[in-house]
Amino acid sequence: MLMVEDVRKTAWERYESLPWPVRTDEEWRRTDPKLLPALPAGEKPKEGAFQTGWETPAPELIRSGVILTDLATATKQFPDLVQEYLFQTGEPGQLKKFVALHQAVAQQGLFCYVPDGVKVELPLRSWIEAISGPAIFPHLAIVVGKDSELTLVDERRSAPGAAEPVLSNEMAEIFVGAGGRLRYVHLQRWNSATTELFTQRAILEKEAQFLNITVGLGSKLSKANVETLLRGPGAHADLLGIFFGAGKQHFDFHTLQDHQAPNTFSDLLYKCALADQAELVYTGLIRIAKQAQKSNAYQANRNLLLSQGAKADSIPMLEIEADDVRCTHGVAVGPVDEEQAFYLMSRGLSATESERLIVEGFFEQILKRIPVGDLREQLAEEIVTRLSTHTETGKETLT
Amino acid sequence: MSTLLEVNNLHVEVEGKEILKGISLKVEKGQVHALMGPNGSGKSTLSNTLMGHPKYKVTQGQILFNGQDLTPLKTDARARMGIFLAFQYPTAIQGVTVANFMRTAMKARFGEAFQSKEFRKTLKGAMASLGVDESFATRYVNDGFSGGEKKRHEVLQMALLKPQLALMDETDSGLDIDALRTVSEGVNRLRGPELGILLITHYQRLLNYIQPDAVHVLVDGRIVRSGGKELALELEAKGYAPYEKETVAS
Ligand SMILES: Nc1ncnc2c1ncn2[C@@H]1O[C@H](COP(=O)(O)OP(=O)(O)OP(=O)(O)O)[C@@H](O)[C@H]1O
Ligand SMILES: [Mg+2]
Repeated sequence: MLMVEDVRKTAWERYESLPWPVRTDEEWRRTDPKLLPALPAGEKPKEGAFQTGWETPAPELIRSGVILTDLATATKQFPDLVQEYLFQTGEPGQLKKFVALHQAVAQQGLFCYVPDGVKVELPLRSWIEAISGPAIFPHLAIVVGKDSELTLVDERRSAPGAAEPVLSNEMAEIFVGAGGRLRYVHLQRWNSATTELFTQRAILEKEAQFLNITVGLGSKLSKANVETLLRGPGAHADLLGIFFGAGKQHFDFHTLQDHQAPNTFSDLLYKCALADQAELVYTGLIRIAKQAQKSNAYQANRNLLLSQGAKADSIPMLEIEADDVRCTHGVAVGPVDEEQAFYLMSRGLSATESERLIVEGFFEQILKRIPVGDLREQLAEEIVTRLSTHTETGKETLT
Repeated sequence: MSTLLEVNNLHVEVEGKEILKGISLKVEKGQVHALMGPNGSGKSTLSNTLMGHPKYKVTQGQILFNGQDLTPLKTDARARMGIFLAFQYPTAIQGVTVANFMRTAMKARFGEAFQSKEFRKTLKGAMASLGVDESFATRYVNDGFSGGEKKRHEVLQMALLKPQLALMDETDSGLDIDALRTVSEGVNRLRGPELGILLITHYQRLLNYIQPDAVHVLVDGRIVRSGGKELALELEAKGYAPYEKETVAS
């Protein structure tokens, strides 16, 4: 186990020695690093403010050892537990300089812990709300013990009225113990003044089950690296994403499905609808190690372009060392299907209504897997609202 | 009698190629007109054009619906005026349930008059009378439907949207004998002094169930003959060969 203080120290050294990204770096080829706010060299950046929040778990859950609180409080009350998990997921493959900075400075965030053998039946909710810039470094740690169960709905948003530019440099670390089951819904609703760098590392032990639903609606720019390490045999991950971009929003997502043990399974499906001049860049890597025989890995990215100016670029990558595995990947990018639109319009729906229904249908496959009913409906409605605001502004600029 | 649909010397192009080469047709309110013709003769092109499909360009001629020129109107406006197309090949729309779709369509068609509270009951009733299983309401539109299920679903929509002019493009193909009867009975129930139907079919069998007022033969983008119901029987016996020669000769 690495001591947190040592990690912070070496992280700071790493941050200082790593160069600032440039356009020619493979990782930054499709997202100009100049779009990032500058951070001072040689000194720790000035931190802005954010607030963490959560619904307190039921008393009987707290009695059985469930923890959901902010990271600073957890560090005070449960120092050994925090030490056991904080910064223990290893080094991610991307955004290294920013992860180093995060580890050097992050003090606050959320800590969610479910001890071995505890089933949390009802979903828990938590959120992080940005208040001021220039930069915030929220950290999220989720630990689901052996044979335990948890559903966590976790939101990122900006405080009402906050307008100042914020760089959120977040790291999420997720541990699912043997036979544990985590359903994690991540809702990204930052305001349009926010630039997000987001790194997620999830470690799945033997027969762990992980359902990860990421919903990305907000921010001006979001660059995310989501890595799932299937470390124990039989580990299972469903990785789903819904993204809606409008205006000049830019999404740059990288995912890693890292199969390190035999009989592991991962299925990734990211669906993105883009309006106006919004852009998506997606690169997805499936890695299957030699010892990970009889593993299945699937990856699909489907993008719907709602206007001519919208763009999506999708690049699958494979590194397969085992020979007895199943692996597929697929990419689709295209505008709304003309025949579908004609069919709906032939029933009296306007072009806008037809598009709305088609987009709703496009996301339905993932929305229906959100394990919380009212949230599912709320999100469907939110997407429709975003869609109608985009079409209205689109119309305004036409006239 | 008053004229519901009047097509005058209609020429239509698809992707730069002329498919309809001067079609004229008049459907009075309450009438059923059957349109028959070999594969590729332009029957679906006509129905798609009447519905305003953006791929089909009218290069000459006129389409009048209740005396109003349709050509400048978009598909949805035509639908809200009461034109309905039962598709030969209905498109699947993944993730959109039949119930959600029909509710939205009925709202669009009837506006203020749409009874939101009655919707479930109305849908259930229409499904029952067409022998459509209740589970259809929660299935995605045409997604994984069998050929026959798709056609029943088209007639279900027609029943709910109560058009003034129904363009039925081979609604009978893909239906088994019992389904053909149920669907025809469904269509006959909708018949009345206001509804006009253009019935595209390859089989005169359908015309035993739905009695047409006129039969037209479309060959290579032109109506080469019009007549009464007996024309369908004649076509069944002799095929289209005589007409195909006629067009070559002309
Ligand atoms: N969207 C389209 N794109 C390209 N060609 C088309 C299109 N629609 C029709 N055509 C062409 O126009 C001609 C007439 O086709 P249409 O579908 O109207 O025939 P049809 O009479 O309905 O035939 P069937 O009995 O097989 O349904 C064909 O040669 C067809 O290939
Ligand atoms: Mg046809």
